[in-house]
Amino acid sequence: MLHSDIKSRPTYTQLEPDLSGSQHLLIIEGDTVLPGRLDSLAGTFAPVEENLHTWLVGTQAGGLGLGKVWRLPEVADVVDAFACATRGYGIGDRLYVQGTEPFLWSVAKAAAIIGFSAEQIHLHHAGSLRRRVWCTHCHTVTENVTTSIASCSGCHRHLLVRDHFSRRLGAFMGVMVDAEAPGEVPAVEESFA
Amino acid sequence: MIGETLTLKVAAASAISPSLRHLRLVAADGGKLPPAAAGAHLQLVLNGAARTHRNAYSLISRPGARDAYEIIVRRVPSSRGGSAFIHEQLKVGDVLEAGWPGNLFAPVRTARRHLMIAGGIGITPFLSYLADFAFGGADYALHLCCREDEQHVFDPWLAGKSGVNVHWDADGRRLDIPALLAAQPVGTHLYVCGPAAMNDEVLELAAAAGWPASHVHCEHFGSALSGGEAFHAFLAKSGIEVSVGEDESLLEAIERIGVKAPCLCRGGACGVCVTPLLDGEAEHRDHYLSAAEREAGRLILPCVSRARSGRLVLDL
Repeated sequence: MLHSDIKSRPTYTQLEPDLSGSQHLLIIEGDTVLPGRLDSLAGTFAPVEENLHTWLVGTQAGGLGLGKVWRLPEVADVVDAFACATRGYGIGDRLYVQGTEPFLWSVAKAAAIIGFSAEQIHLHHAGSLRRRVWCTHCHTVTENVTTSIASCSGCHRHLLVRDHFSRRLGAFMGVMVDAEAPGEVPAVEESFA
Repeated sequence: MIGETLTLKVAAASAISPSLRHLRLVAADGGKLPPAAAGAHLQLVLNGAARTHRNAYSLISRPGARDAYEIIVRRVPSSRGGSAFIHEQLKVGDVLEAGWPGNLFAPVRTARRHLMIAGGIGITPFLSYLADFAFGGADYALHLCCREDEQHVFDPWLAGKSGVNVHWDADGRRLDIPALLAAQPVGTHLYVCGPAAMNDEVLELAAAAGWPASHVHCEHFGSALSGGEAFHAFLAKSGIEVSVGEDESLLEAIERIGVKAPCLCRGGACGVCVTPLLDGEAEHRDHYLSAAEREAGRLILPCVSRARSGRLVLDL
């Protein structure tokens, strides 16, 4: 479900250093790291290692050759680190993020708030396809949705999870699936495992 | 006052340096003028002795002002007549026709910080930026690179403004552009307006320093861009052949024979005058067409671009 006819559906790229950048910040969701991935990234980012800073989020060993490495417990710490940034980030800096979509967009949003432009941020999807879903009825965000129809954690409506995506919310649109015929809920599929 | 064009009267004119003339223009009927935002320009119709010029000048008046438009005009030695007309013939009380203000160089409102680099008279759009930023409390810096003897010319508009730095060609006074560009925080927008060589240098250095293209903005001077070898153009729809002289642009030649062609900036930036090219090879001098569009050779901006092939056929 990484490709869709819906135009707002983001597409993601492989991570490669943008050599025109001045400082490079790589942020990786630990759960999405397969064996050998960090070594492979170290090889890819070798040309910029002198100016590379890597944040490993979650319990993840390794990180050799990825520049200066920080270990952060969870994505909320990444958001805090950006929000409280005492260190200034430069207009030539580049941000590279690997993880699930909720992780990618939590990080991208926090970076955008302190001024990063979309051109400075490179996102690579890895791991689960689970989605953050925004209910169009009660505006509650439901996390970790893996099914095509999910119960809203706010209003408990049955939401059809669409491919329409909001970069501002970092979430997919969920609309009531049985609004026309209450109770008639189609079969639920595990679409975003 | 409401019409396709504005009729303006010269209310005041003064020399602020041997080659710079400041004009204050008001509505000829005494009414209010349409407001313009920071970065806007005004296209003046200048009826010189030899021919009519249409030149665009940045407005330096306070954004939103409706009582008067103010501009500063540099007398260009190689002037095709527009700046010479303003300097030598235009007097207080004269009436001019002008287009409505246009704006192709507005500051970006979502910027965290504004970094402006001006070369000489290229400071004019930034004088309106400064007036704008004074209200909003925006974070900004202006670097003016100019001749040493002109360092105080713009003081009346810069007085009391913080964040203004003046540079000239002397040890300790030159602007270190690479160092300046490297030191800017994330979220900064860069605006450059100066001579072509300076614009190109700053744009190149910004790209090399990793600036995202969406954060880099440039305004080119339109003057002296449009001259070149004489050539012919055939306007297919009108069925008219027109010869374009060495010192006039294709757009000016089209206007001279009375064919109406839309235009806004007259400097190859806005794309309003883009015209289908049916035959002939163009020498593209604009900043609007993409590389692919130039390659395809089916479009031309007559305000600045000319013929490479001797004759162009336009769908006009």
